Amino acid sequence: MKKPLEVLVVEDNAGDARLLREMFSKEKPGSFNLTHLLRMSEALVHLQKGGVDIVLLDMGLPDGHGLDTVRRAQAVAPGVPVIVLTGLDDEALAAEAMKEGAQDYLIKGQIESRALPRALRHAIERHRMQAETELLRINQLQFKDNFLSHVSHELRSPLNAIYQFVTILLDKLVGDLNSEQREYLEIVFRNVKQLQAMIHDLLEVTRGQDGKLAIELQATLVGDAIVDAVDTLQGAAVLKEIVLSTQVALDLPRVCADPTRLRQILIILLDNAIKFTPPNGAVKVRAQLLEGDTNQLLLQVSDNGSGISEGMTEQIFERLFQASDPAQAGRQGLGLGLHICKELVLRQGGRIWATSTPGEGAVLSVTLPVFSMRNLLAPMLKATNGAPGPMMLLIAQVVSPAGWVSDAARAEHSQWARELLRRCMHSEQDVLLPKMGSAGAAELFFVAVATDPKGCESLTRRIRQQFDERELTQKAGLVLSTSCHSVETAQQNRDNPRGASFEWVTAMFQTLVNEELSSRIAANG
Amino acid sequence: MANKKILLVDDDPDVRLAMHVRLKANGYDTAFASDALSSVSEARKQQPDVIILDLGLPGGDGFTVIERLKRHPSLAVIPIIVVSGRGVSGNQERAIKAGAKVYLQKPVDNIELLAIIRQTLGEPEQPGDSDVTGNWKLFA
Repeated sequence: MKKPLEVLVVEDNAGDARLLREMFSKEKPGSFNLTHLLRMSEALVHLQKGGVDIVLLDMGLPDGHGLDTVRRAQAVAPGVPVIVLTGLDDEALAAEAMKEGAQDYLIKGQIESRALPRALRHAIERHRMQAETELLRINQLQFKDNFLSHVSHELRSPLNAIYQFVTILLDKLVGDLNSEQREYLEIVFRNVKQLQAMIHDLLEVTRGQDGKLAIELQATLVGDAIVDAVDTLQGAAVLKEIVLSTQVALDLPRVCADPTRLRQILIILLDNAIKFTPPNGAVKVRAQLLEGDTNQLLLQVSDNGSGISEGMTEQIFERLFQASDPAQAGRQGLGLGLHICKELVLRQGGRIWATSTPGEGAVLSVTLPVFSMRNLLAPMLKATNGAPGPMMLLIAQVVSPAGWVSDAARAEHSQWARELLRRCMHSEQDVLLPKMGSAGAAELFFVAVATDPKGCESLTRRIRQQFDERELTQKAGLVLSTSCHSVETAQQNRDNPRGASFEWVTAMFQTLVNEELSSRIAANG
Repeated sequence: MANKKILLVDDDPDVRLAMHVRLKANGYDTAFASDALSSVSEARKQQPDVIILDLGLPGGDGFTVIERLKRHPSLAVIPIIVVSGRGVSGNQERAIKAGAKVYLQKPVDNIELLAIIRQTLGEPEQPGDSDVTGNWKLFA
């Protein structure tokens, strides 16, 4: 015999609940098993235990309201379909609930008793099919990524052999070349380089899908990245007689980004612009604060090439997108560049979009969050509601006494330490600041904590304990040192009778960080 | 003065030949091994000044080769440069802990490799060397 369906009814109105119960009572015994609860809190506990096949959820409970009830139910039991119960005047809300993932909605007073069990069975079936389709899709994507990653790795060795011997010939290590031989070898070389770049892109994309793309956010100067990227592509621009120019606003604030990745983004955008701009064209990089939102920095790469066809401005960021006119694009690559670019921008909290007038050129725009101590500390300062209590700055320093094997190893360990610190922090208001700089062999981490010296000490103990327990600490021979610093928050004067202001506390934190950074750089070299 | 000798350990004959041509052009002598076992005996026979070692080898991986080399007092002092197609993550640390001096991921830039060989051998820098070796910290 089939197992009865376990139905959880969450409904605080006794009348509504009784009606539902009656509808089920007409069903064959043993086909449904009803559990009726009055509160969201009880429902969550019940869902957590598992075993529920479907939830009938009222959206107006004493301890839960509207879409929030749906979200909470799904957070606890993501695999269980939810049907929401609403009043006649709440149909719009019900539709919203379906967008949040509810399977269906039923309007109280309009539920047909015969139709209810069928609606339930359908909802369960539909939910099961959706889950299966999603799983299938994820598996296929995973398979494709594994396949791509494997193939790319395998292609590298033979390609590397070609590269090595072509360069041996071109470098004249085994004798002179005549001009025709040299010319043809240069063509081989150029194509090998293109293949290498394609394989690199493929590996980068599969890494992005795995979440293995390392990004280390820090206060970064956009101007430096622009100069680097323009330097890298100046040669390509000169070859096509394209004028490459920059226009960077003065006194731009730093952004919160990974400098290597920012450079990579700019190189992809510039490379792309140069590709799609005819000889004698112009490509321009601009950087300024975003109009209307000074918390965002706007980077734009514009060209006066063929532009992007209408309706394609979003598709160009899709994976494997190729320009539809192959003559125009030439043999240019895999169509991964802009996709990688988008991944990188999104992972750094920015946005990317394209605008274009066909025939007149295109503008690719990227925003990145401005590095602002005030914004970073805002959650903590807001929580104190304008009357800040004691605040501390905890500084953790992680050193590899033998030095770091490479920049990659340093970044990896730094990421690891950052994760460890994050897990040790208990209060949601406390802020682990992004990388502010490093001093010699030391990686420095700053945590702003809304607590007194005692609280800071106990956090320190927690961090030390976690750090000492980790295997990596010993394996890599990492050494941790910490210190706690009180932040002056009691600035009371005539202008500011209630105590320290947002700006004041922010400035105090910034000063402390700067002082620590410069003294440690001086000490560690 | 006699040329410095470099032992190339890689199971791919194309890689060995390409490296040999490039190293010879830069004034180094070369010796070869293509698997884990012969690399140790070759090292003993040739007494090279540097060993360039791939990690994926028949008959045991490069880590075992490093460990075996480090067990021989006369071979333990020979600096090892690992050149591998495997990712840096995990492998680099393991190789350095086992006693390798540098970990390079394939494909390796020739200019970079030569600069690192010179640095490892304590030979005078050439123009541009510090641009590449500045990124690498060599371990004693």
